[in-house]
Amino acid sequence: MGGQACVFYGAAEFSRDTDFAILAEASNLARLRKALAGLRAKPIAVPPFEIKYLRQGHAIHFRCQHPEALRMRVDVMSKMRGVDSFAKLWERRTTLQIPGGEKCDLLSLPDLIQAKKTQRDKDWPMIRRLVEASFFENRRKPSPAQIRFWLAEFRTPQLLIEIARKNPVVAKKLVAKRPLLRLASAGEAGKLEKELAAEELTERENDRRYWLPLKKTLDKLRHGG
Amino acid sequence: MIQAEELVGGEWAEWYRLTPVQRWLESEKLWQTYLALGGSLDPEPDTQSPFFDARTPRPCPAHGWAGVRVLRRGRV
Repeated sequence: MGGQACVFYGAAEFSRDTDFAILAEASNLARLRKALAGLRAKPIAVPPFEIKYLRQGHAIHFRCQHPEALRMRVDVMSKMRGVDSFAKLWERRTTLQIPGGEKCDLLSLPDLIQAKKTQRDKDWPMIRRLVEASFFENRRKPSPAQIRFWLAEFRTPQLLIEIARKNPVVAKKLVAKRPLLRLASAGEAGKLEKELAAEELTERENDRRYWLPLKKTLDKLRHGG
Repeated sequence: MIQAEELVGGEWAEWYRLTPVQRWLESEKLWQTYLALGGSLDPEPDTQSPFFDARTPRPCPAHGWAGVRVLRRGRV
């Protein structure tokens, strides 16, 4: 769900770890343990590899010791802020076949974008790139769902204005959910840019708040406080 | 109608024009180059991540150097 998915959808991240969204159920964790054993992956840092921490929203971190993946980090999560349940993510996933015939399941683009709305600087230019790539790939014949997705997620003022003006009815319907669309429809690029920045700040603050109790748990596990 | 080149420049526009699978394969080539140059799979510390703990000791490469290092630097 991380860097590799971003590359597939059109951003470019040189991420050295591999992130997985997984179903936190006992039988699935047993399968995961087996796969991790194949990679000779050992848990690092906290929390320990236990179902309760995954269900709380923590990530479990591993480092691989297999010679073909030496020192590679693997992070697994099951619950992310603002992101739907695993069952829904699975239903909407993208499946690709890589050379050699193996299949990879990726978060859908809208789900990946939700997962990227974090407190970290590096995720926000990534979101912008992902939505731009989707737009330039599909702008000639967009589906209604794509138009709604762009209106909901664009971080590029020029494109938001273009799409809002071409689709005034849909844009108007979405104003209640995303008030800055009013500025996009009016072509107010300067104000729109400021509102996009404010929207980002709000999301980042929400993410910081979401993590406060989880960070307390991590601190307790690290330092026994 | 805004063109990708106007908005993001030629390099990004070219990246956007690739199919998802082509991007995946290009990224794989970059990986091969990175590893051939001795790049390490250890991720950089992500100080903004909620998982980051400044007090946790980080592993060093066995030879004690960063995976990729500058041997010669041109003047500005």
